[in-house]
Amino acid sequence: MRLAPGVFLGGMVGTGLRLGIDQALPHADTDFPASTLIANTIGAFILGWLVAGLWTRPGLPAWVKAALGTGVLGSFTTYSAVMVSLVALGAAGFPTLGWIYLAATLLLGFGAAALGLQLGAQLRHRVLPDIPDAGSTL
Amino acid sequence: MSTWLVLGVLVTGGAAAVIRYFVSRAFPVGPERLPLGVLIVNVAGSLIGGVVLGLSERAAVSADVQLILLTGVCGGLTTFSTWSVETVELTLTGRRRAGIVNLIGTLLLGFLVCGAGYLLSR
Repeated sequence: MRLAPGVFLGGMVGTGLRLGIDQALPHADTDFPASTLIANTIGAFILGWLVAGLWTRPGLPAWVKAALGTGVLGSFTTYSAVMVSLVALGAAGFPTLGWIYLAATLLLGFGAAALGLQLGAQLRHRVLPDIPDAGSTL
Repeated sequence: MSTWLVLGVLVTGGAAAVIRYFVSRAFPVGPERLPLGVLIVNVAGSLIGGVVLGLSERAAVSADVQLILLTGVCGGLTTFSTWSVETVELTLTGRRRAGIVNLIGTLLLGFLVCGAGYLLSR
């Protein structure tokens, strides 16, 4: 319950970023939904990178995962918009464009998630540089 | 786009994310379990999205309300990133069949309820 405010604020940020991409790349119901594809691909990559990398750090506060993962990235990406676009494209007589959109979403989105997980896992194994002890040099 | 409309989209998006958070926590991912929480919110959001799409086709909802419902409520409630990362993780951790079930099951259910919602409300 105490993490809900972080999820709420993160959700507002993620929704706002997605709204911004939608406004920058507007599309009609019968157009290729490029903005959703871009948001989902970027969001899947970053979440995969965080899950395999940052999330594995010991001592990471729970609110960081909740606010950044569930909140920002969960809300930045959307599943419903993909389905709505597929139904809209099919109903408007553009089923081929719908299939292309679905294939692009699965290839790019799941590819980005897999790449993010892989790069994040490399980060986990990297030895962090020593932070110089400022006290000893003074 | 007015400030109030943007605020409406952001607040409903944030509130829907909180609902997604609680549903996900109610269905934790286990060794023998699929990520059911994300499946539930994604299918529920697709149903609402289909209904809104149908209603908008006969101009039963204004463009502003449509933006709040689709971009705010449905967009905040559903997620692509968690779905894709959890599915890939299932596959990478040797649960290939669970990953495929999560992929195909979510797609089929989401599309079916979205299409049904659209056809029933237009």
